[in-house]
Amino acid sequence: MSGPDRVPLDPVEVAAATLASLPDMTHRRLRALIERGGGPVGALAGLERGLAAAVLCEGASTAELPARQSLARAWQTAARSDRTARTLVARRTRVHVVGRPGYPLDEDLPDRPEVLLAEGDVPEALDRPRVAVVGTRAATPNGLDDARQLGATLARAGVTVVSGLAIGIDGAVHEGALDAGGAVIGVVATGLDVVYPRRHRILFDRVRASGLIMSELAYGTQPRHYAFPVRNRIIAGLAQLTVVVEATLKGGARITADFALEYGRTVMAYPGSRRNPASAGANQLLYDGATVVLDPADVLLELGFSGSGARPEQRALPLGDQAAVLEACHGEPATLDQLASRARLSPAQVVAAVRALERDGWMERSRGLCWPR
Amino acid sequence: MLAAVRSATLIGVDGQPVTVEVHVSSGLPAYQVVGLPDAAVRESRERVRAAVLSSGLEWPQRRITVNLAPGGVRKTGSGLELAVALGVLGANDALPAGVLDGVAVLGELGLDGSVRAVPGTLALVDALARAGVSSVVVPLPNASEAELVGDVRVRAARTLGELRACLKGEEPWPDWDPPAPPADDGCATGTVDDELVDLSDVRGLPFARQALEVAAAGGHHLLFCGPPGTGKTMLARRLGTILPPLSHPEALEVTRIHSAAGMPVGGQLVRRRPFRAPHHTASTAALVGGGSGRARPGEITMAHRGTLFLDELGEFAPSALDALRQPLEERAVRISRQGVSLTFPAAFQLVACSNPCPCGSGGNECRCTDAQRERYRRRLSAPLLDRFDLRVRVDAPESDDVAGESSAEVAARVAVAHERQRARYADWPWSQNAHVAAGAVPRLLPLGPEADSVWRELIADRQLTGRGATRIRRVARTIADLADSAGITAEHLESAAAMRGDVP
Repeated sequence: MSGPDRVPLDPVEVAAATLASLPDMTHRRLRALIERGGGPVGALAGLERGLAAAVLCEGASTAELPARQSLARAWQTAARSDRTARTLVARRTRVHVVGRPGYPLDEDLPDRPEVLLAEGDVPEALDRPRVAVVGTRAATPNGLDDARQLGATLARAGVTVVSGLAIGIDGAVHEGALDAGGAVIGVVATGLDVVYPRRHRILFDRVRASGLIMSELAYGTQPRHYAFPVRNRIIAGLAQLTVVVEATLKGGARITADFALEYGRTVMAYPGSRRNPASAGANQLLYDGATVVLDPADVLLELGFSGSGARPEQRALPLGDQAAVLEACHGEPATLDQLASRARLSPAQVVAAVRALERDGWMERSRGLCWPR
Repeated sequence: MLAAVRSATLIGVDGQPVTVEVHVSSGLPAYQVVGLPDAAVRESRERVRAAVLSSGLEWPQRRITVNLAPGGVRKTGSGLELAVALGVLGANDALPAGVLDGVAVLGELGLDGSVRAVPGTLALVDALARAGVSSVVVPLPNASEAELVGDVRVRAARTLGELRACLKGEEPWPDWDPPAPPADDGCATGTVDDELVDLSDVRGLPFARQALEVAAAGGHHLLFCGPPGTGKTMLARRLGTILPPLSHPEALEVTRIHSAAGMPVGGQLVRRRPFRAPHHTASTAALVGGGSGRARPGEITMAHRGTLFLDELGEFAPSALDALRQPLEERAVRISRQGVSLTFPAAFQLVACSNPCPCGSGGNECRCTDAQRERYRRRLSAPLLDRFDLRVRVDAPESDDVAGESSAEVAARVAVAHERQRARYADWPWSQNAHVAAGAVPRLLPLGPEADSVWRELIADRQLTGRGATRIRRVARTIADLADSAGITAEHLESAAAMRGDVP
């Protein structure tokens, strides 16, 4: 039983995926194994000849030794199983291994993942320019809106959006890009068969259908708090540019941005109010020298897209009631009451004007509030 | 010896005629009540006996059987006591034969033979009048209330002894004072919690005011959503001041319900539309009716023909709110009890206020996380929100806003709109736009070609469901009625759609 588009299993890929799914595997251990074994196939064979113990016990204190040795035995047992191979076939997983064509990251990165598993219907998502958009889970409505808008802008320009499928900014940017018909990559900190957070079940399905879900962790790996910061280095590594929409001072988004800086990539950030704790991290990044995003198109400019194509086309400026209503917004969300009072128009006139502005893309409306875009 | 006296008992908020049959026979002295009496009725034995003795009359030292017919209906309360006492007197030959023919008797007895008031007199007398009773004897305090029924002769009773004398023709029937005249006509200005309110107290908020006017004109349910202190509650409390007063049949209906629920009605018709504002800790039974023991009408029935105002909608128990859904559709609530199924009328207009999120600000200053907001929003179920034809976001008025129109000006337009609707729906079982059956909407609320294209555009743009679209169309009809316009225009549809926002 094999997938329609990928018939033969590559022995190197199977070996690499099997190694990655050994118990208590870390990316450092995996790298050591593969380097000493002279490649994944050699490393898998070497496990039987004491490679496991050699890698695990190197530099371990005497107190740790017994535990390491029993883990080495567990590795040997686990490596004999063909469960991983069967899972790869059943789920039509793609395996990206360092040193082989199609490996999506820069191989010079110090803590690169040796193996990356990917599922999804649009592997071409990796072939396009990739931009990571990250942010806090405790986002404000404005932040979520910015994220959605940025996701849509990038998607329309043919850029692949990379993020972490978390609640808040991550989810919003994925949604924005998907709604605009773009390709997205979600990098998760669990096995590819685990949906976390559960609330994003539908979003996971959408990402699979219009892009890829990637992970360096074995199937069945449940969420662990320490896995998320480690995962963030992959998000930063996959993207040539990282945008922080809203971030708290100490959050995962800051960690992603730090990785991106360490890898020498551009980091951009949305400025926010100094009173907004959800913007403190992004503001700190700007203070530290990140590039400011005032408009989603700024990200495209930074990527080298020509300005004319990226900026929205020129529209006729609104006139009369419409101009008065747009002016009355004061650049912020306002109720129809406030617009009517400020513009000194009747409710019916305001309704007509808002509707026309909405149609022409000057204004957005949600939850009973209107704001200029 | 046998005597039968007509009386009535309350079932829910309706009266049920009861025939009290008393049989006195030889045997050991005993007193038995049969025919599904509840505890209060069974307890009445001691009161009846003491009252008869205190009135200087004889209590037969024989076997007394009291039967309450029809036997299948549970009799509640103490309003049957006077009838039982007269039955005992009749069966004991202490009353001339025939004086109780065609007469029904209501009243509770005191140990000294005095006759005390009973709740629900209007409903009871109404039911008796329909059953063909020509004359009723009621406790003196209930006499003016009983007179509201109209086509029945009302007699008042003060004490059992006096009543017996009146029935025998030995004494004149006692007179009663007419009720105090109504304080005001209750139309232009309403009072809520003894506070004089008028729509001109509200500054600015033209859009929210229009929504309130539309709600009043078309009977649409209304939800205001916004930060605390912006005037949502202030506006909602003024709905009563722009609604037309109750018509005579409506007033009778409302008075009957209020009287049956034990509210003092003071012997006169309730003219002002009820305004009920239960606290958000209210239980499901308190809202929709029921409860343990006798099923009691809930707030929605007390708000019949008026307004049910739910402030802080999100703070109500979700189960209590969801229980409102069926009555909102059917305009009545059915409560099933062991053996009986009661239907309480509940044709109320729902007006609710809600905050947009836990912190309340909702706008730019909101510091709630998305998760908090989502949790808050989920307290209000989508089916409940869907039943609000009007959902309006309200924020604080601008600092330079001035007072708007007074209630009287708005009420005049609302009255005209009501008249237009009454004429349009003369052949239909409803009288307001909000209640037009979905199937009749295309025929009764037609759209011109221009309006029709806007209508289709709206459905496509906002991804409206059939039901949501129909609701917008009904509201548009009300806006047209307020503008005294024969047809629904594109502008009316746009305004209606804007008044059905995706809040909270």
